[in-house]
Amino acid sequence: MNHKNPKIICITGGKGGTGKTLCAVNLAVMFKNEGNKVLLIDGDVENPNTYLLLNGKLENKKDVPFFKPKIIEDKCSKCGLCSQNCLSNALLHVKDAFPIPMLTLCSGCQLCYKICPENAIEADSKTIGWIYSTNVNGLSLLLGELKPSEARSAAIVEALLEKIEDIIEKEPNKFDIIILDTAPGAHCDVELLIADADIVIPITEPTKFGKLDLIRIMELIKLLGKESRVIVNRSSLLGFREQFLNELKRESIEILGDIPLDSDIVESYCQGTPIMEKNSKFNREGVGYIAFTKIYDNLKKWLEIPT
Amino acid sequence: MSIIAVPSMGNGGLNDQMSPRFGRCVSFTFVEIENSDIKAVKTVPNPAANAMGGAGVQATQIIGNNGANAVIVGFLGPNAASGLNALNLEIFQAPNQAMTIKEVINLYLEGKLQKIASSNVASHYGMGGGRGMGGGRGMGGGRGMGGGRGMGRGNQL
Repeated sequence: MNHKNPKIICITGGKGGTGKTLCAVNLAVMFKNEGNKVLLIDGDVENPNTYLLLNGKLENKKDVPFFKPKIIEDKCSKCGLCSQNCLSNALLHVKDAFPIPMLTLCSGCQLCYKICPENAIEADSKTIGWIYSTNVNGLSLLLGELKPSEARSAAIVEALLEKIEDIIEKEPNKFDIIILDTAPGAHCDVELLIADADIVIPITEPTKFGKLDLIRIMELIKLLGKESRVIVNRSSLLGFREQFLNELKRESIEILGDIPLDSDIVESYCQGTPIMEKNSKFNREGVGYIAFTKIYDNLKKWLEIPT
Repeated sequence: MSIIAVPSMGNGGLNDQMSPRFGRCVSFTFVEIENSDIKAVKTVPNPAANAMGGAGVQATQIIGNNGANAVIVGFLGPNAASGLNALNLEIFQAPNQAMTIKEVINLYLEGKLQKIASSNVASHYGMGGGRGMGGGRGMGGGRGMGGGRGMGRGNQL
């Protein structure tokens, strides 16, 4: 186990709606309850909503810029070199005319800007999304949002990761625990976050859909060489718990714990008050509360944090 | 004098079939017209036929570099449309049926083609193996070419 500070835990899971955000928020809260300094990152940049589960607000909005070529017509010799070399065909050039950037095709590689012999291309930028930072009940939250209609969600995730890197570099002891909450799927946004983590916790549910998507995300985790243990949410669904846990064992998938269906969890979710919050009104003896407590203990053992 | 570009299925020329695809047609036939008469015809192959992306932009460059004032299209994607618009070229909609370059040019000369300003299909619509326009809607009632995905196997990315 990596002992560097802070420890970075990635919550992911392939399938949508399995409870990634629920687990990310409650794990963050449990670490915070014990006096840890916790940063929670919402990396589901197409649908960021972690703040809702914490009853928080989106604050400190900052633009995420993305490269956009700007042709300086006074300098441009209309040679067409930029257009000929653009792998995305994002610069429309006809003879004796200035090249025209086609921004929907531009990948942001900046090759045109670098190779223009006249320095006639300026690195302009457009806003493709935003990063918000806020603080709710002693928990720091960092959230990325892709501007609707923009395609490059990974650039927003990269901006989040740069921000984390910056914090760790400048103030290595600012946080003890960083929790990354990913989007569903096994695509590049998710990959970037998993690659940045020390350990990975995929959340699944005992359905065929849950298992199929779990196996896909496990492949990605394996590819990235990360340790992982799974949380099975809604484990009492239709009485499949034992069968499902056995199936995961047969696939050599390690399990961190499971969370049965629980009305307290549903209520906490709807109200935006995490069930594991220190002063929450929820029953300490409820199945959901007990399940989260067990999972948290198992996680601390896994991280080799003394209990 | 004006030059009209028409995407073609094969080697181009007045007797070749018009291609419903713009960015990924095999070649372009350029027809020079003066006083409603065809003065000259030339063909330029389309190197973007098998491009991964941005075929519409590359094809637009060929149109622009060969001095065309207008294009006649079947299906037109969004990148090609914004490229053609950026070059201030007129875009005319061909009927949704197989016809030769000569037939479609005659319709143009008779003023029977409708001018359009934007794309009528999504990106990468014309990719993949298929041929023929299939499932068409026809021009009629001013609706243009919407609907009807009839282009074979579609996106193979």
